[in-house]
Amino acid sequence: MREIALHILDIMQNSVAAGAGRIGVSVTAGNDTGMITAVIDDDGCGMDERTLQEVTDPFTTSRTTRKVGLGIPLLRSSCMRSGGNFSITSQKGHGTKVTASFGKDHIDRPVLGDLAGVVADMSASFPKIDIRLELISGEECFTYSSAEAARILGEVPLSEPAVIEWLKEYISEGIKHIFGGVLDEIAG
Amino acid sequence: MKTAELAAKLGATIVTGKAGIDKEIKGVYCCDLLSWVMSHAGKDSAWITVHTHMNIVAVAVLSEIACIIIPEGIEAEEATIKKAVQENIPILCTGLTAYEVCCIAHDCGI
Repeated sequence: MREIALHILDIMQNSVAAGAGRIGVSVTAGNDTGMITAVIDDDGCGMDERTLQEVTDPFTTSRTTRKVGLGIPLLRSSCMRSGGNFSITSQKGHGTKVTASFGKDHIDRPVLGDLAGVVADMSASFPKIDIRLELISGEECFTYSSAEAARILGEVPLSEPAVIEWLKEYISEGIKHIFGGVLDEIAG
Repeated sequence: MKTAELAAKLGATIVTGKAGIDKEIKGVYCCDLLSWVMSHAGKDSAWITVHTHMNIVAVAVLSEIACIIIPEGIEAEEATIKKAVQENIPILCTGLTAYEVCCIAHDCGI
């Protein structure tokens, strides 16, 4: 995929399919580590050991467990191609955690992309799920929670177009603040 | 044009034996972003890619690709070849560049 944000969206859709009530997205990038790491974790139904071993195999997954598809194999190869790493852990009945890292300055690393759009649209589409975002660089941190945003908004739904626009802008500002001057594609 | 005929025109090596060599090629598609190929490649295309991971066979199956062409003298992994044979997807390896493959395919009327 062209953007890390699209990979994150893909993994979040797996979490939705797993019946998650909470999906956490954390993106950490730093000039010190030279890496950009995305962690997507949920409290969905999780997977047993056997399924977990199959998810990085494009065939087993696309054939038998349709909900996983090629998303994981593609993310994994994108990580490996950019000098990063990929891991997935899961506990049946408790949830799943996907960790994907990329060499921050590697020439084949996909751009971060429209992460604000992904988080805002997911918040609007799945109001019953608490969608959390955490952006970290060095000492700086930005956090967002759709459940908290919904509580502040009260009667106004997160799917209200003006709210979605506002959320996108708010999260975009957070991305600029945290990753400006850290990721090449984001002006500092 | 059939896959075996195109392979001959390209002087390419078919590393997957006889699997799928009679498939008719209706077009050529060239891209290395697998997710993009999945959403844009035409059915029955000959697909040119520098990737050699087994994922290319999965993408070819999903997108109903006629054959995979690996250019510039790159060798395919053993596991990829094995899977391609199982899935009836021919893999052609050639020393030509993607552009040269396209030119020859065009001259062949594809």
